[in-house]
Formats: sequence, structure tokens, C-alpha cells
Amino acid sequence: MARPIGRSRTHALLHPFFVGLGGALLMAALFTDYMYTSNSLSQWANFSVWLITGGLVLALVATIFLVIDVALGRAGPIRWLDFGLIGVAAFLSLVNVFVHTRDAWTSVVPTGITLSTIVTILLLAAGLRGWCVTAIKSVGRGESQ
Amino acid sequence: MIGTRVQAASGLMIFALVAACSDKGGDPSKQYGPNPDLPEAHQYLVPPMSVPQAVGWKTGETPTVPAGMRIQAMATGLMHPRIVYPLPNGDILVVEANGPGTKPFRPKDYISGKVKARAGASDKGGNRITLLRDADGDGVPEMKTVLVDHLHSPYGVAWVADTLYVANTDAIVAFPFTPGQTEITVPGTKLADLPAGPINHHWTKSMVASPDGSKLYVGVGSNSNITENGIDIEEGRAAIYEVDRLTGAKRLYATGTRNPTNLAIQPGTGQLFAVVNERDEIGPDLVPDYLTSIKDGGFYGWPYSYWGQHEDVRVHPQDPAMVAKAIKPDYGLSSHVAALGVVFSQGETLSPEFANGAFVGEHGSWNRDPLNGYQVIFVPFANERPSGMPIPVLTDFLAPDKKTVHGRPVGVALDRTGALVVADDVGNAVWRVSRSVDGK
Repeated sequence: MARPIGRSRTHALLHPFFVGLGGALLMAALFTDYMYTSNSLSQWANFSVWLITGGLVLALVATIFLVIDVALGRAGPIRWLDFGLIGVAAFLSLVNVFVHTRDAWTSVVPTGITLSTIVTILLLAAGLRGWCVTAIKSVGRGESQ
Repeated sequence: MIGTRVQAASGLMIFALVAACSDKGGDPSKQYGPNPDLPEAHQYLVPPMSVPQAVGWKTGETPTVPAGMRIQAMATGLMHPRIVYPLPNGDILVVEANGPGTKPFRPKDYISGKVKARAGASDKGGNRITLLRDADGDGVPEMKTVLVDHLHSPYGVAWVADTLYVANTDAIVAFPFTPGQTEITVPGTKLADLPAGPINHHWTKSMVASPDGSKLYVGVGSNSNITENGIDIEEGRAAIYEVDRLTGAKRLYATGTRNPTNLAIQPGTGQLFAVVNERDEIGPDLVPDYLTSIKDGGFYGWPYSYWGQHEDVRVHPQDPAMVAKAIKPDYGLSSHVAALGVVFSQGETLSPEFANGAFVGEHGSWNRDPLNGYQVIFVPFANERPSGMPIPVLTDFLAPDKKTVHGRPVGVALDRTGALVVADDVGNAVWRVSRSVDGK
């Protein structure tokens, strides 16, 4: 069946926006961790723990939208490299938020900022690849319409 | 443990998390006395804890006392009673209060709020002082009335020269007061401000008058567990002040005392003693709370170090000069007992073994598993210093399964007959322990 002109567009995936938003918060925590290590002002460590908490909440939201993407049939096959980068970053951030609940210096140094650095590297890679955990499935080509 | 060998790094982290939660505290008796056993400090993802549920006392239920003593509820249905203060005429003042409340700073604060509520530590305080009159001294008050109301998170009280000094969380307030009076209607006058600040982490202000009545000593707790709210807001905190009773002029008498929750003057010597609550979250057996004599100008370690020169890695920047100066306390009470009350015994009023020493009210905390404290103990003294193993006096505040808690002892005092009076801020009661007569 030929594709009618004007229906050749694809439906945008919903989850990458939330992955990117959460990823931005998690990466920002590296900056606030760095600020805390350089000046010992506790408010920077507080920023870090809120950023990581926010990043994890958005990771949950992103997961829900990933499920919606799949349920709506918008998602193509899983891109395992991206899935791995983002999944590991989310897991390490979960550990990191517990590290950051410690009090004062050792909430950041050395474990907290190390985890924030690893997470940032993973997310930079995932972000440059487009924050997509799945391939985009084009619609109108098959049975979905 | 075979499985752990093949775990990936992520698996090990989960394992570490679970292991952290099950780090059990050791035998508390190794931490009594001048040289407590101090294990290595640990940092956790989730610090070990155990939160008993507050259930209160049913009618007729009481803490347990040793044979030869009897216990009575002098008052029940109070609003978070913290301090008991007997007056020379036999009346007993009961300070009912809780903290003014703080705004959450970090996600963690929401969790600890839930923990506190479960353990009964968040109940609303009365912000008042209730007077109990037991004129015949039988332990059954004939009168229970509100002496003064609308205070601001009061804790310490001292009566000197027909003036009642009340240590609210932000100031010492003075009320003209003659024992016998059952109501104070005049507004108090402020004697001196106390550090309360926008953050007021340890809100209680303990207080005792010097033997000659010219000075008031005031204990002010730190503004954090271990400087996590910033070092700048610790200015003037974790300290004991000496306040001139007439002018209100104050000076730092001792520093580095993380949370000096109560003060007492040793009879005979006039020496100031304090019970101090130490830092949390570096292990179930760190750091022991302590009972110590307080030296004028002494520095007791917080935040830089504990029990003398044991540096706390969580404090940055460190201060080696202050660590070197830190005084080792006299007597360890073991870890996370949360000692909140202290009073010296006055001879053999209760039992010959309680002739020389101090009673300590251990509120108990949730920062340890198994739980520790939740009792009133007697610490014997020799040569004017605490010495030897403590003797339990009031016990069974915790249910036998340690899952629920009936009450938590706070302030302790001796009434004019020498009976021990104990405030219980979860049971909302005042207990009186006296020598039993004819087995009653």
C-alpha cells in the first residue's frame, strides 16, 4: 500500500525529552559537587542532592513515558547502547543520592563527586546520541493506520 | 557469600547497601567509663537504624524499678514533658515543650521527619510549665495546674532569689515567682538572648544556676549533626554559656560540646557537670554520649574530633590545632543513648548503692540497632568523678520486642523527700520513684 503524501511523518517519541531533562539535572550535580569541593559551602552540597533527586524523579517519569511510547506503538526496537548508558547512569545516580544524604564533606568527597563524574560522562555520550532509548518507528507505512 | 564473588560492581553496591542496614551495635557495656571501646568509623548509604513505634502507657502500666522501690505516676496526660524541677516547698514544675519546628533543607529531612513522628518525637509540646503540688509527699499530687503558658519551646528552668528563670529556645526569660504561687500572670522580662537562628537544629536550652546563684549556666546544642548545615551557623552553638544572673551578660564557658542536653552542679564541690549527646551516622557504636565535668574554657572536640583526638572525616576544612586541644570526657555512657537528664543523688534516699553518684535519663534514639538507652541509670562516683558500671534504675520503657516504646525518659530530679522524679515525653507522664515502705 502506498503511503499518502503528508502522512509520511513520524510520531515523535515522548521519553527522550524527560531523559534529557533528568540528564541535565544529573550533570549539573557534577558542577555543584565541584563547587562544594572548592569552597566547602554546604549550600552547594544541598544543591547537588536536590539536583540528583530531581534527576531520579525525572528518570522515573522518563521510564513511564518509555512504556507509553512502546504501548502507543511509536517506539521501534530498543537501542541497547543508549539503554545501557542511561540505565547505568540512573542506577549510579540512585547510589549517588544515598551517598549525598551523608552529612557534610563526605557526602561529596570522594565517592559522591566520583559518581557524579562517571554519570556525567555516560550521559554526555547518551545525550550526544539523542537521548533515545529506542529507535523511532515511522507510522503510516504499515498496519498502524 | 558465594554469590558475591561473581557479582558485578553494581551488585556489590546493592550488597553494600543491605550490609549497611544490618550493621548491628555491640555490647554497650564496653563503652561505659573513661576509656570506651571506639570502633573504626564507617560511612553508610543508609545509616543503621531502628525506629520503635510510640504507643504510650496503658492505665496501670509503669516502667520497672528495682526491688525495694516503688513507682507512681505523679501526672499523666501532659503535653510532651521534658524537665521536672522541684521547688523548696515541695511543688514540682513540669516543663512541657517540643521544638519550634524547622523547615526541611534536604530530601533527607522529609525522611527524618517521618522517623521522628513514628517514634513519638514530633508530638506538640505544651509550651508551658505545669505545677504539681504534693503537699503530703505521698506521690499523689493534690493539685495540677498550669503555672505559666505561651512560652517559646522552653526547656531549662532555675529558681533563684524569688525569680523563675526559664530558658526558652531563643532567650532566658525571668518571672517574679515565690514558691507557693500557683499562677504567673505577669509577662516575663528577657534576661539574655540565646542562639536560635533561622536554623535551630538542637533546640533545647538546658540550664542550671551556680551554687551561689550569681550565674546561670546554659547548654546550647549544635545546629547540625556534623556541620552539614554550614560551619558559619555553628557560631556560638555546641557550647555552654555562663550568664550573669543580674545583668544578663554572657560568655562562652565551654565549647565543642555537641549537644549539652542537661547540666548539674555536683554537691560539695560545686563543679559543673553536663551530659552531652555526640554525633550520629558513623556507626552503631560511635560516638558514645558522655557525662563529664566541664572546665572553664574547655573545648570538647565537636565538630573536629570526638573522644579527644579522634578526627571526624566529615568536617572540612579540618583544624588540627583544635583537635589537639580537645578534652577527653570523663565518662562514656555508650552510643546513641541520648542522655537528656542528669541529677546528683543526695545520699541514701533511695538505696545505699545510690548514695554517691548521678542519675541519668536516657531518652534513647533510633540511630542504632539494637536500640540503646530508653532507661534511667545511676552512675556511681568515686573521688568526685564517675567511676564503675552504671546501675539501671527505671527500665522497660521499650516493649520486650523493642518494636514499640511506651515512654522515653528525659529530665530527672530529686524531690524534697529524696524521691526520683522523671519526665517522660512519649508517655506524657511524670514518674516518681521512692523507697518502698512495707513492700508497697
